[in-house]
Amino acid sequence: MNARLLKFTAGCAGALLASGTALGATQGTLGATSTGSVSINASVPNRVQIGGLSDVSFTNQDPATAAANAQNVCVWSNTSTKGYNVTASGSGAGSAFTLASGASTVPYSVEWSGSSGQSSGSALTSGSALTGLTSTATNANCASGPASSASLIVRISSANLQTMQAATSYTGTLTLVVAPE
Amino acid sequence: MKRGRSPRARALPRLIAVAVGLASTLLIPAAAMAASNKVRITNLTDVAFGSLANLSVDAVRSQSVCLYADTNTNGYSITATGTGPSGAFQLTSGAAAMDYEVQWSSSAGQSGGASLAPNMPLTGQVSPATHQTCANGPATSASLILLLRSSALSSARAGTYNGTLTLIVGPE
Repeated sequence: MNARLLKFTAGCAGALLASGTALGATQGTLGATSTGSVSINASVPNRVQIGGLSDVSFTNQDPATAAANAQNVCVWSNTSTKGYNVTASGSGAGSAFTLASGASTVPYSVEWSGSSGQSSGSALTSGSALTGLTSTATNANCASGPASSASLIVRISSANLQTMQAATSYTGTLTLVVAPE
Repeated sequence: MKRGRSPRARALPRLIAVAVGLASTLLIPAAAMAASNKVRITNLTDVAFGSLANLSVDAVRSQSVCLYADTNTNGYSITATGTGPSGAFQLTSGAAAMDYEVQWSSSAGQSGGASLAPNMPLTGQVSPATHQTCANGPATSASLILLLRSSALSSARAGTYNGTLTLIVGPE
């Protein structure tokens, strides 16, 4: 009895396999017209993209006045909420936000806003994600819809500017990592 | 006294009968060989794009199908309809939608073809199929190509998208 059951089960499995790869597709019949159809499926995973970034340049800064540079960037998120988080890291020791000229360094600060056109935002800490942000971008590189969707603000305080040596170039790199939420 | 018909006159009906018989004999095979103006589309398989990790490149899926057209020229037209509004080629994931494109080639094994517009027949196609299900002769006779453009992918919300594409073939 068990053997019979096994044989029947194997037969059913064979029939299912032979009947096809096209579980939802329908085939046409011979006639004056013939109609067939296929089912289509595609899966789009969570993705984010940051773009539209420009280098930041502070030149001939008056040490008596704090320096600030704000730029509009494109952050796109395809999650259901269009949510994302951003994590910044500098090129200083321990990923600190510092510029360097040889052994001499000067700190800077970074702010982020989830809206474009802003001159201030939430302060970022190196290596810590700023969460709960939402993008208005409708295209990964803002080629359509809003041309930008967030603001990046970099500042050097007057006190720190006053520690810098004149006619000397200080450089550094700020890295931004965006993740979907 | 009634005069009888001449032998030639008596033979005339027989000659006509023979001529009609011959004509029938000649016409019957000709009628049997005439095209039935019937068409058939088979060998369709579902289209699975799967999980599209790279949204910056077009995703393309093509399949060879059997398109049989029993017309004098083996000609046919094909009309495609999607499940979007007004038959648009659109996949949906809940309220989110993503457009796709459909192409058709009257040759098997192609990865590109003529673009189809929803509900608009693509005419002037000719099938090399010699059997209605391609059981003999060419195993397939046309190509169906579906594309998800990167522009659509990079604007799409994350999720699983589904749709149905219906193909209607007519003789030409």
